[in-house]
Amino acid sequence: MTAPPDSPSPTERTMNCEQAVRRLWDYLDGRLPSFTREEVEAHLDLCLRCPPHFTFAQSVKEWLRHAGTQRENEVTDRDGTLRERVRSALRSVSP
Amino acid sequence: MPCFAQVVRFARSLEHDGARADDLVQETYLQALRGWHSFREDADPRRWLYAICHHTFLRSARREARYVDAPDDDPELESLATAVSHGGALRTGAVDALERLDMIPAINRALAALPAHYRSVAVLVDVEGQSYEEAAGILGVAIGTVRSRLFRARRLLQDSLFEFARDAGLTHASSASPTPRVPR
Repeated sequence: MTAPPDSPSPTERTMNCEQAVRRLWDYLDGRLPSFTREEVEAHLDLCLRCPPHFTFAQSVKEWLRHAGTQRENEVTDRDGTLRERVRSALRSVSP
Repeated sequence: MPCFAQVVRFARSLEHDGARADDLVQETYLQALRGWHSFREDADPRRWLYAICHHTFLRSARREARYVDAPDDDPELESLATAVSHGGALRTGAVDALERLDMIPAINRALAALPAHYRSVAVLVDVEGQSYEEAAGILGVAIGTVRSRLFRARRLLQDSLFEFARDAGLTHASSASPTPRVPR
């Protein structure tokens, strides 16, 4: 089936670089409507300059996530002391 | 005490001074005890404690004039600025240089350097994995505010990483070519 004569060509439907990178974080956070997401992806498929920006931004998100996982494993003696201090404070105000 | 480790981590992300962070943890649980009657059984205790912790931090920081409210940022402009900054870092070699940095300490330093209103959003969404909606509930701000602060926080954080690479002398243009100016 051929497209209607007035429908835009694939190239015309594609965003330009600025339009695509303005949606960088929304795209990576999965918060774009499906039509816009597909437009960004169509641009990324054709563009040589923009994909590295998206890839690096995704890395930043992953490093942050990893930093969080590492912090979860941080258990220090000071935390035990703090826990006791907070327990003691709670006991002192409990009826 | 429920969620103690998580509350300690969140308090330390808000307050970098160890003694202040410990005080914040203690005050959070005291406030939670006083407000226990307001806790709904179907609510998530971690988010409830985060909200108390954040409100307690804000009250203390505002009283001591250590907190400045964030201006409204343009999220799309922050996304654009992120890409522009990354493009500049590609040219100076800062991006390649990051491969030689220990990223987790670098990320933690960059997080610590963020102003509190940006740091709290980045910690909740990117580090703790809360959704925009959950972060908005904890911080008592609109979802749009979470989005705009988050995007700016990530851009500032990314720029800090490039700065570390330059400071470590790891870029091929570390002294001659600073990161190009980006919007805002």
